[in-house]
Amino acid sequence: MKRIDPREQEPQDPRAVIGFYHVDLAYKDQTALQNISFTASNGEFLCLTGPSGAGKSSILRLIAMDAFPTKGQVIIRGMLASKMNRRKVPLLRREIGYVFQDFRLLDDRSVYDNVAFAQLVVGVKSADIKMNVMRVLTQVGLWNKRHRLPRQLSGGEQQRAAIARAMVNSPKILLADEPTGNLDPVNAQETIDLLFRINDSGTCVVFSTHDQQIVKAFGERVIVMNDGRIASDIKRKTMVDRTANLTDRMYQPGELINA
Amino acid sequence: MLKGAQVRYLMKESFAGFHRRKLTTGVTILIMGSSLLVLAVLTLATLNLDHLLAKARSSIDMRVFLLESLDPGQVAELQPRLLVIPGVKEVKFISSETALHEFRTSLGQDAGVLDFLETNPLPASYHIQFTAGARNLDSVRQIRDEIAAWPEVAEIIFNQGWVDALEGWSARFRMANLITGLIVFIAVVFVISNTVKLTMAASSRLIQIQKLVGATNGFIRLPFLCEGMLQGVLAGGLAMGLVAVASSFMQNRLSGMIFFSVEQIAGFIMFCMVLGLLGSWSAMRKYLTLQSEL
Ligand SMILES: Nc1ncnc2c1ncn2[C@@H]1O[C@H](COP(=O)(O)OP(=O)(O)OP(=O)(O)O)[C@@H](O)[C@H]1O
Ligand SMILES: [Mg+2]
Repeated sequence: MKRIDPREQEPQDPRAVIGFYHVDLAYKDQTALQNISFTASNGEFLCLTGPSGAGKSSILRLIAMDAFPTKGQVIIRGMLASKMNRRKVPLLRREIGYVFQDFRLLDDRSVYDNVAFAQLVVGVKSADIKMNVMRVLTQVGLWNKRHRLPRQLSGGEQQRAAIARAMVNSPKILLADEPTGNLDPVNAQETIDLLFRINDSGTCVVFSTHDQQIVKAFGERVIVMNDGRIASDIKRKTMVDRTANLTDRMYQPGELINA
Repeated sequence: MLKGAQVRYLMKESFAGFHRRKLTTGVTILIMGSSLLVLAVLTLATLNLDHLLAKARSSIDMRVFLLESLDPGQVAELQPRLLVIPGVKEVKFISSETALHEFRTSLGQDAGVLDFLETNPLPASYHIQFTAGARNLDSVRQIRDEIAAWPEVAEIIFNQGWVDALEGWSARFRMANLITGLIVFIAVVFVISNTVKLTMAASSRLIQIQKLVGATNGFIRLPFLCEGMLQGVLAGGLAMGLVAVASSFMQNRLSGMIFFSVEQIAGFIMFCMVLGLLGSWSAMRKYLTLQSEL
């Protein structure tokens, strides 16, 4: 007799762009995530935090369908990971921007070409590529440095170039895996300001960090991970003042509620 | 469908692999070129042998010498009987006088020796030519056996040794060609597969980022397929070029030697292109799946 796993019976939020329902993930025999459940809706700004090895990157990887759950369900923009045709994954990736701690730019081509690359791969027309690249490079303030190679940029500028590349296909979801990990506080703040601006245009942003100062200053909804599990999922009662300075943005007492 | 910008990108990427590792690629093409050269030389030799064989076959004919004791009526009656044998195209009577006359002309200055003869020693004969379909050893032997049984016939001569030897060699060359072709096939696919693997390893960042921004596997593969194809074509072209140069030197010594036709050259290059494709395809089958992680 085939038993129905009660986990699969759970109601699923249809508005969620990202839905995790009792998800386990194991790499070979190493367990990385256990019983992860949360949803995120359009325009949400989600902050993942927790110690090293807690499973932050694993969650982002599941969202990008670079990994698939061992148990439970992951639904991204209505696509069910367990039923996903692996050939269709590239199509999902076109709706997801992804930035990393180590920028991952192609170091043999200019900032412009790095950003244009994302459009080229997707098959955008040449004329449109020019327009879109110009738009995002202006947004991240790198239009006048477009001819430079990545190594001729500062770390913060490289991260902005990577964000421009992630934005250029107008993604519905932006994933940022410790985007500020290699940056000093000033550049970190610039990067987060950019993420906020992308979020303002309706993109759901999920970013991971283990920097507690950043969490305290910018966290609107914070999921704390520990040892592969969600330790807490907390939302701020009041909106964060996104225009304020890093040092001004500490939590006020009594500001937190359970999400 | 690919957009203009994508085609430009693919062209650039395919050549970039060459450009980045000029030495490796150069050496690879030299190695493949030389193994393809062996194949091309053997193929050319087979081709020439076949050409010679065809020539020898077309010159197959038969002389049927008749008993001296036959009277002219009996001799004349043989002609229609010969003509109805399947495979026989033409029958020409050569009387003993004509034979002697021909012999005399062939001797030229030395013809004087014939004046000492009291009787004509040359028998009358029929010269038989065959239809194109019958110009092979089996049919000719069959016809010979049939005629040899006739009581009027003294002796039958035809140039079988020449065709025999050629047929043997042609079969041997064909076999050698096949075996070499197989070895070269495997070797070239292997070498191309290895260089493409190297390119892919060197481009792992590029592949990773392509996956990151949503490139399909097909798109990621294209430049590598093009690179393998290009290597195959270049190696094939090199081999062809060398054979062409060598055979133009040989043609001065060996008159009647033939070279590949344009279609055959195109076919050979196509074959090399397919080898290149197969090589890069086999390289990718393993590599791309291993590299699935972002
Ligand atoms: N490719 C992999 N193969 C095997 N185990 C892995 C792999 N990637 C991650 N893990 C394991 O999964 C667990 C969660 O890893 P993950 O990278 O998600 O943590 P993280 O929270 O992002 O850590 P960090 O802050 O150091 O980046 C860890 O125990 C890690 O060792
Ligand atoms: Mg991580």
